[in-house]
Amino acid sequence: MADYHEFIEKMGPKIKVEIRKKRRLYFQVKNDDILEVVDYLFNKMKCRLSTATATETYHGIEALYHFSDDNTGNYYCPRVVMKDKKNPEMNSITPMIKGAEWIEREMAEWWGIKFIGHPRPIPLLSRNHPENLNNPMRCRR
Amino acid sequence: MEIKSNLKEISNKNQIPVGPFHPLLEEAEYFNLTVDGETVVDIDMDTGWMHRGHEFISEQKSFTQSIYLVERICGICSTSHPLAFVHALEDIDNIEIPLRARYIRTLVGELERIHSHLLWVGLAGHFIGYDTVWMWAWKYREPVLQMFEIISGNRNHYGMMRVGGVGKDVDPASIPELNKILDMLVKKMNMIAKIINDDPVLRSRLIGVGVLTKKDAIDYCAVGPTSRASGVRGDVRKDEPIDAYDLVDFDEIITKNGDVYDKFVVRVLEIIESIKICRQCLNKLKEIKGPFFNNVKEISAGEGIGRYEAPRGEVFHYVRTDGTNRVVRHKVRAPSFNNIPTFQASCKGIPIADALITLAGVDPCYCCTERAIRVSDKHNKNKKIDLLKLSRDKTLYIRRNA
Repeated sequence: MADYHEFIEKMGPKIKVEIRKKRRLYFQVKNDDILEVVDYLFNKMKCRLSTATATETYHGIEALYHFSDDNTGNYYCPRVVMKDKKNPEMNSITPMIKGAEWIEREMAEWWGIKFIGHPRPIPLLSRNHPENLNNPMRCRR
Repeated sequence: MEIKSNLKEISNKNQIPVGPFHPLLEEAEYFNLTVDGETVVDIDMDTGWMHRGHEFISEQKSFTQSIYLVERICGICSTSHPLAFVHALEDIDNIEIPLRARYIRTLVGELERIHSHLLWVGLAGHFIGYDTVWMWAWKYREPVLQMFEIISGNRNHYGMMRVGGVGKDVDPASIPELNKILDMLVKKMNMIAKIINDDPVLRSRLIGVGVLTKKDAIDYCAVGPTSRASGVRGDVRKDEPIDAYDLVDFDEIITKNGDVYDKFVVRVLEIIESIKICRQCLNKLKEIKGPFFNNVKEISAGEGIGRYEAPRGEVFHYVRTDGTNRVVRHKVRAPSFNNIPTFQASCKGIPIADALITLAGVDPCYCCTERAIRVSDKHNKNKKIDLLKLSRDKTLYIRRNA
């Protein structure tokens, strides 16, 4: 919890904490601030990017990143909500973290999210696929 | 000067395709190696050859049904995925499980690590033309599968995990037999560890090959033996010790060179540590009585993260629930999803003959990596796909656009 406190204090108004429990911190971040928050998590706190999850909700398309602090076992999960469902776009963290390349390509392919600044914005799974997959994970319910 | 410049430009670059169906790869995957003479200068990976659908199917199944589903993501990690999934569901409501179930989960998880690492050791031996290692490793893997049969009734897909505990108890009468197999395994593993240390062929073939530096392992967010062989600390069993991992004594194996040899060493030493853990679990299971399952009636609405240190590294499951008996979002990230991109760093600049063992070095699991895809039409209705037609269309598309 002490680690969370330091992180929350450091990030201040840039983050809005949603769920705070043992070893898990979920918080919302604006797209303009995501790079600064990720820079702090990855470069200052030495967290590892585990993966990211995109979800479609009534409010918009969410991209939830999962950062693991392997020294404490804590998970930090910044969430960016894109309200424009037709053209969801956000800043790519791949220029900062090479390990984010595949997961951002996957989210772009399945959810139609445009990652601004992604160095290799090509589909991950359907690069040579004869069918147009048309963001297959959208509008499921 | 002009001639020199022209000569520099006329390099002998060729493309070598590996896959999608290749003796090196147990599953379908496609690697395109760009070689200059004998040296690999670039590598491109094309995934998507195994269309699955686990994330989507899971969102239509009940929690218990999904456990059986995620068990089938991977034949080797058929404990790691369901274990990470139940951890995620238990994370939502902070569900505690009985002590006996904690030891059983740990025992089954560690046996999986032993048989998975032995599988890799055998394959690595086979890939470098050292078939004695292959035959030995796979011979000693067989008794581990027998242990699974004794414990769960199955050699694979054990059906052990439940939200709130495990589905089957370990019969106390079987513990002496399980211990006897572990006794044999320890001797054989010590022998293999000695071989790795002494054998000049293995050493000359693996030392300095396919080096993944510590910086690259961190940048690519590699996990498991792939990162630990590069000197990066990180093991879910130590970082977030759920189940019985905070009750057993074991060491986290870390080496620093990052080459295939170190990955070999890490895996063999991890087998010995896993045997140590299994012994402690079996001893405790002799003493501890009580339930092995808490009957969990419902999972409340929320978000949960579950993870487990699979043989290849951290398996990650994220679930979002709405208070019903199924997940509304299920994200699965297998360790190979993070480890395969490290080929960009470890394969460049090495001879083509070493590329194959380097590719195999991370113990890639493609069926884990390609866990979900779904095709719908423009009206978002599911398409019924003729897989044969799809496969032929893809070949035609590639042939025309090559």
